[in-house]
Amino acid sequence: MVSIARKNLFHDKIRFIITLIGVTFSVVLIFAQVGIYLGFMQNASIVIDNTDVDIWITSKNTPNFDWAQAFPETKINLARETKGVLHAEKFILAWGVMKRKEGGTEQVEIIGYNPNSGIGGPWNMKEGRASDVKGGKHIIMDESAEKKMGEFHIGDEREVMNQKVKVIGITKGIKSFTTAPFIFTSYDTAKGLASYIGQDSTVFILVKTDPAENIHEIVQRLNERLKGVDVYTSRQFSNRTRWYWTVETGMGMGFLMTAFMGFAIGIVIVGQTIYTSTIEHLREYGTLKAIGANNLFIYKIIFEQAIVNAVIGYIVGFVITQFLIKGYEKTGLAMIIPNYLIVSVFFLTLLMCISASFISIRKATKIDPAIVFKV
Amino acid sequence: MEENNIEVKRLKKIYHEASVEVIAVDDVSFNVKSGEVVAVMGPSGSGKTTLLSIMGCILRPTSGEVIIKGIKTHEMDEHSLPEIRNRYIGFIFQAFNLFPALTALENVEVSLNLKGIKGKRAKEEAKQLLERVGLGDRVDFLPMDLSGGQKQRVSIARALANRPSIILADEPTGNLDSKTGHSVIELLRDLSVKEKSSVIIVTHDNRIMDMSDRVLYLEDGRLKNGANSKKR
Ligand SMILES: Nc1ncnc2c1ncn2[C@@H]1O[C@H](COP(=O)(O)OP(=O)(O)OP(=O)(O)O)[C@@H](O)[C@H]1O
Ligand SMILES: [Mg+2]
Repeated sequence: MVSIARKNLFHDKIRFIITLIGVTFSVVLIFAQVGIYLGFMQNASIVIDNTDVDIWITSKNTPNFDWAQAFPETKINLARETKGVLHAEKFILAWGVMKRKEGGTEQVEIIGYNPNSGIGGPWNMKEGRASDVKGGKHIIMDESAEKKMGEFHIGDEREVMNQKVKVIGITKGIKSFTTAPFIFTSYDTAKGLASYIGQDSTVFILVKTDPAENIHEIVQRLNERLKGVDVYTSRQFSNRTRWYWTVETGMGMGFLMTAFMGFAIGIVIVGQTIYTSTIEHLREYGTLKAIGANNLFIYKIIFEQAIVNAVIGYIVGFVITQFLIKGYEKTGLAMIIPNYLIVSVFFLTLLMCISASFISIRKATKIDPAIVFKV
Repeated sequence: MEENNIEVKRLKKIYHEASVEVIAVDDVSFNVKSGEVVAVMGPSGSGKTTLLSIMGCILRPTSGEVIIKGIKTHEMDEHSLPEIRNRYIGFIFQAFNLFPALTALENVEVSLNLKGIKGKRAKEEAKQLLERVGLGDRVDFLPMDLSGGQKQRVSIARALANRPSIILADEPTGNLDSKTGHSVIELLRDLSVKEKSSVIIVTHDNRIMDMSDRVLYLEDGRLKNGANSKKR
């Protein structure tokens, strides 16, 4: 079969390139927007997603991980007595300030965990061990904090909330969504540093459950037993945190709008170029009809044009996106392109190009083959 | 007794243009046998193109019958007509109407593809058709690199795809100088004899008269000389 679609596309190279630029631009914009958003979202719930527990107990109406309030720590006893609870642990997240190396201060998020169980402690250790926070005011920081805090090494002394602390470990890739660096330390040290929490309070209770029991029933029981707190499964709390930053702040909407704009621009550019091309080739479509082509044959030509534009534009866009990811990583931020996104953007691109060619379809199939006798 | 490839009976076409009625074809009847070359002549606006369009099932008549190989096409619905054109009719146009992005070979191939001949076979047949019209050495040329006469030969090769019973040509030499036009008509004549197809040529060129079996004169949509003017 001779492909009139491809022949026509490649015959008019300038128009073809303009179309491809349009498609590629859309693809890159959509990938970048969703990828950056997912990168932010990964950070938003990074501690929840990397802590090996099943249930998070928070103070009432805690909107997200970073903005949690304290509640009486004695509730942990009730939690431990609840059926289906294997293990419960106190856990702190508190805001504090840390002195920068060059002077001045930066806000930090202090995380206090039980170094004996290790639950809620840092993962991805680059230097040192998570259990080393025991036996003194010892902290673990992420290498990414150097941008704000200045260079630091194992054994360095720093000041958090006007108290001297010692760096005993460095992690990799543990960044908060709020951009305030995480300071991992023992539960007791954290309470000492962020004394405003109060001696008898905790910020979270982390629960490991009996896998034989239904987790939602355990959540229910904890809710009834503890009162005045919120009980979430890890997944729920992770989603709640992401939802908060996505919807309540309007940030998600911003990304969505820009991604949608990419899609719309793509439709307009592809629609325009396919349409002008259709108009210019109207006589050819008329000739095809005169020599016996039915409408299906015409549909196929226009859809094939759309699909070729989509596939090539997508591939170019995907390759550019790979470079963009590398470049973006250098700035210390993550752009995440999961497999499902790769697949869905491909179909979105197809949808974009095919819907852009619908007006042209109408135009080409409505053409009166009598045009062929006009000179 | 040769069979009629196409029969036209009491054909009438009325255009309604801005509340004015134009009777473009008025009560026209004639038959064309296989192997016959018929010239259609007449002044501008006399309805030649309209008649040809109706015979080619591109335009529907207001009334009357168009019977192609025994099929009453005037009774068929719109979406069955492409199939009739595909099977029985080859078109040749004054403006050639070649596909500019396709080579000579591909232009012919498309027509074969439409007729269900695909792949290698289509390529080979297209090549043979081009050789028959004397363009065996121009198969890979794009239309813009061919002369007018060569373009018209490509379109003749395209019209010949799958041996149509009827070839309809609307002023095929209108864009050609007289010498080139002459050879194109000769080619058409030749083919009609060999292929036993009916060739109907609309023309202003008096010399085509001499090369055709019959001439139909149209004036104001009516046949002036009955169905058979000149018999050779
Ligand atoms: N689509 C149309 N709508 C309205 N009137 C039309 C249409 N096409 C043709 N006509 C009219 O029908 C008549 C016959 O036109 P037609 O094109 O068949 O003539 P023709 O013999 O082919 O002329 P020419 O030699 O100039 O090509 C003319 O009066 C023309 O104005
Ligand atoms: Mg005409």
